[in-house]
Amino acid sequence: MIDKVAFLFAEGLKNFLRNKLTNFLCIITILINFTILGTFFVAGFNTDSLVNFFRSKYTFEIFLNEGVDSRQTNAIASDLEANLAISSVLLIDKEESADIFLKEFGENVVDMLGYNPLPISLKVYLEKDNFNLKNIESMIEEIESYNFVDSVEYRGVYIDNIEDKINLFIFLFLVLVIGIIFISIQMISNTVKLSMSNRSDFIEILQYNGASNMFIKIPFFIESILQSAIGAFIAFLLVNYSFIVINSYFNLNIQVDDVLWAWMIGFSLVIGIYASNRAMKRILL
Amino acid sequence: MVEFKNITYNYSSKSGIYDVDLNIQDDEFCFLVGPTGSGKSTLLKLLYFDLFPDKGEVRVLNYSSSKIKKKDIHRARKKIGVIFQDYKLLKQRTVYENIALPLHINGIGRKKISNLVNEALELTELSRYSKKFPNQLSGGEQQRVCIARAIVKNPDIILADEPTGNLDPTTGHRILRILEQINKEGTCVIMATHNYKLIAEKPYRVIELDQGRVVSE
Repeated sequence: MIDKVAFLFAEGLKNFLRNKLTNFLCIITILINFTILGTFFVAGFNTDSLVNFFRSKYTFEIFLNEGVDSRQTNAIASDLEANLAISSVLLIDKEESADIFLKEFGENVVDMLGYNPLPISLKVYLEKDNFNLKNIESMIEEIESYNFVDSVEYRGVYIDNIEDKINLFIFLFLVLVIGIIFISIQMISNTVKLSMSNRSDFIEILQYNGASNMFIKIPFFIESILQSAIGAFIAFLLVNYSFIVINSYFNLNIQVDDVLWAWMIGFSLVIGIYASNRAMKRILL
Repeated sequence: MVEFKNITYNYSSKSGIYDVDLNIQDDEFCFLVGPTGSGKSTLLKLLYFDLFPDKGEVRVLNYSSSKIKKKDIHRARKKIGVIFQDYKLLKQRTVYENIALPLHINGIGRKKISNLVNEALELTELSRYSKKFPNQLSGGEQQRVCIARAIVKNPDIILADEPTGNLDPTTGHRILRILEQINKEGTCVIMATHNYKLIAEKPYRVIELDQGRVVSE
């Protein structure tokens, strides 16, 4: 059994080395496709953290009128916390507001004006999972109508717009990924077909000597696996080092997934085996 | 061992074989003779399941043309050695590698392969050519490589399709002697030929075909 496996592996390797031009062209195609794919993987990986960053900003702030006491404020906060769309409410009193002002503008408002004009506010954190812009907007409209509310500050529309654009990007990314997968499958499949038709005599001789279809297929699988793995590995090196250069040149912090190499090579192997099996199914009945 | 039961096979060009009934025993040496297009090669192709009859049933070893599944044909072929007129050798492989091929297919270990290939090389008097490539050999030598490849796996049947067709008479006789020797060791040999001179004085069964029908036995 070991001798048979060694023979088939050696056959696959020999075939790979014999068909230099077709294999080279196939590796180049996989390299181009997987460089694009890898770049999009990295973009997708970083988009996720961008989305999470925006989602962490799912808040709005209610500024209360002067004269609202702490009992009323606590009652409002409790009412808001009972709402399922709200995850928590943070009370920011006049002193805390003055501290925030100091941190942001470097000036002490009480020293400047002789009194604290900053209002009491409630920072409302929304539930990220059940987020619905329309519901939130109608809730804010209702809050604004209360006589103890001075104003409500909410940037949800902008966040929603950004998320829409990110979703569109993810959709386009998926379409492109499908396109690249399709091109890769076609390319590998055609290379295997070409390789098999070049070696039709060899296949015929194997068949007359009692070779099973699996015995005939294995060297072609090995050839496809080598094409896919080499193409994807070079693509990974290209993507990885390109982002290292981009990060250092533009002073960015684009993260590359630690297991990107495994994703790319694994994915290319699945495509390679599927494509070659598809090609061989049509030839070896 | 080999049985043709009322076999008919039609090619699209209105040629083929018709209503053939034959039985060939385990250790027989038998010639299929007849002019070109008489159906000799078709009968052999039916035996290694390269063709399937339109009517009737072919039985080879324990396999039947009406029952065998495509995925199981290779199992039958492992027990059948085929010798072709055009040799069908792998040009990029040495003589040794060509002969070893069926053994690799059968999953035999490297050491045993070496012993069996050397035996086959000796029997076919090819030992000194083992490292040569087919295109460095004469037609007769290539045909002997083809024979060595067919016998190396110790098959139950040898099917030889015009093995002397491209060879001079002396080489033809040499090939025939090798096949006779294989038959003496108990392997059934079925050889198609149109060379009546070659087989004239041989004491074996001769099945004559003409226009796809058995005309004499």
